[in-house]
Amino acid sequence: MSSSLRREPLETAAFRAGYLTLLALMLLPLLVVVVTSFSGTGRLAFPPESYSLVWYGEFLDSVRWLDAFTNSIVIGVGTALVATLLGVMGAFGQEIDDGSLGTVLAPLVLIPLLIPPVILGITLLMYFNEVGLRGSYASIVLAHTLWATPLVYFVMRSVFSRFDWQQLDAAQDLGAGPVQSFVYVVLPNVKHGIFVGGLLAFIISLQEFVMALFLSTPSTETIPVLAWTEIRQALDPMVSVVSTFLIVISVVGILLAVVATNLEWLSKQLS
Amino acid sequence: MSEITLRDLEKRYGETTAVQDVSVEIRDGELLCLLGPSGSGKSTTLRMIAGLETPTSGEITLDGADVTDQPAYERNTSTVFQDWALFPHKTVLENVAFGLKMRDVPKDERRERAEAMLERVQMGGYGDEDPTTLSGGQKQRVALARSLAVNPDVLLLDEPLSNLDKRLREDMQIELREIHEDLEETFVHVTHDQDEAFTLADRIGIMDQGELIQVGEPTEVYENPANRFIEGFLGDTNFVDSQVVGVTDGAVRVETELGYELVLPTDRNPDVAEGTELTLSLRPEVLSIERDPTADAVEGHEQPMLADGSTSNAVVGTVENVLYRGSTVRYSVSVNGTSMFAERTGASTDALTAGEEIRIEWDGTDVLAFRTDGSRVTL
Repeated sequence: MSSSLRREPLETAAFRAGYLTLLALMLLPLLVVVVTSFSGTGRLAFPPESYSLVWYGEFLDSVRWLDAFTNSIVIGVGTALVATLLGVMGAFGQEIDDGSLGTVLAPLVLIPLLIPPVILGITLLMYFNEVGLRGSYASIVLAHTLWATPLVYFVMRSVFSRFDWQQLDAAQDLGAGPVQSFVYVVLPNVKHGIFVGGLLAFIISLQEFVMALFLSTPSTETIPVLAWTEIRQALDPMVSVVSTFLIVISVVGILLAVVATNLEWLSKQLS
Repeated sequence: MSEITLRDLEKRYGETTAVQDVSVEIRDGELLCLLGPSGSGKSTTLRMIAGLETPTSGEITLDGADVTDQPAYERNTSTVFQDWALFPHKTVLENVAFGLKMRDVPKDERRERAEAMLERVQMGGYGDEDPTTLSGGQKQRVALARSLAVNPDVLLLDEPLSNLDKRLREDMQIELREIHEDLEETFVHVTHDQDEAFTLADRIGIMDQGELIQVGEPTEVYENPANRFIEGFLGDTNFVDSQVVGVTDGAVRVETELGYELVLPTDRNPDVAEGTELTLSLRPEVLSIERDPTADAVEGHEQPMLADGSTSNAVVGTVENVLYRGSTVRYSVSVNGTSMFAERTGASTDALTAGEEIRIEWDGTDVLAFRTDGSRVTL
């Protein structure tokens, strides 16, 4: 008790106040978005002149918005699955390979992150036209995977670096083949990390706008793409409603990730 | 039947050679200790036997079958790792039953066998525990049970006792020895601790810088070391630099840094000539301490040769330091400015004190001589 009662140094207090202010300033726009979504009028203004759930009703009645919502979820889940598979396999492969090829090739995974999305979008549009994937979910999933895979890969590198690889030796030594040893020994140790990586990929896909703009058709357009189209015509609180949904999904995702990574800690507290 | 043959085994990592020219036949049912300092390649050799490393070249056979390129999971060898590598997300029982599960043993049977194995290592009743909560000694037992549960042809132990405290380590050595005698399986045990090797081993293989220098029974490697490294590694000794001043029939005369000319009796024609530089090894247990420095042998600093061909060598020096070590007392003695040490059992009542002048004697046949490249001179 005595230590918590001790006065904290002025510098620490000032630093704490400083970063809390900065954080608040950065999060304030989100508050504006959420508040305006409850506007009772058709004008996007802050603070709203009146409050109601009328725009939420509009959203749920709008086939176009609901389709876009479904598209975003489908593409997000698809991206999460493909990027996680590739990212996990890449990071795992590099850990167990003692050759030098992996070390040389690893930086290549960064390249998609370094190319401006506009260029990627145009290039992929032409490419997918050639191979006949234009207008499909697959084209946007693959484009988002290009971005999400490096992030999953780096999450997994850090997860695997904390894994005790002697366990893999022990499993194989006891007769577990490559697949069995991964499933029975590696996976249980890194599953939370894989979940977090997948969630990250999902959120990346949910937010991505530029490549989706190039690659989507009216039947595959995602929420950011539709929002952009709508804003160009009329600035009404529907955009705020949609944004609020996106924010909620992201926050829920982050909470899930926090819970996942601390699950063991949590279970120890409860038992 | 589980003999292992290693033939010309070599393992390189890029430019560095971890293991080279390792050839040995490990006999069925024996406990072979691979002994060497860290970085000597003993663990790498063990991992190649386990199949966890693939040799760069060379051949490994298990009961006559070439297993060199067989992965670990297809070999019926089992390893106890240095940090035990228990699976933290499985219970103790699940850990022990894991190998049986991989061999598709039915659930009830593997539970039964795992429990029996836990009893065997005195860990019965711990089946439902989380292995991360166990003490080092308990983890070690569980790891041993896990490896033994699959009934391996060969049990490989990679310094599993090195993380335990001294008392527990000694208890476990005796237990391991008993388990080995019970099971009559082939064990290969890696250690850097010579006491552990001498306690456990039927034979000891001594490794240095990636090479297996000598394989033999404990007494053989201790009394008849192949080179200077082994002589220094297996126990404390005095290395004395010297130079051959004369080779006569039945004796090599050497001038030493102790300032004495010593005689090394020989029953052959040793491959040394006048001027050859030799390092002599005087182990403390062959040295005896006399309080009276003025015995005949010392006169003229030249050692006489006795009628029976042996020599009684002796030097005179001053006690510099007395180190009480419980069962023994070690005396650091300065002989003409060069320091050496000798020991007496702690029970001796007439303790020597610093500054005292004493005589150290030994039988010339107990001295080992090594060339400058470390190789042994057969006397």
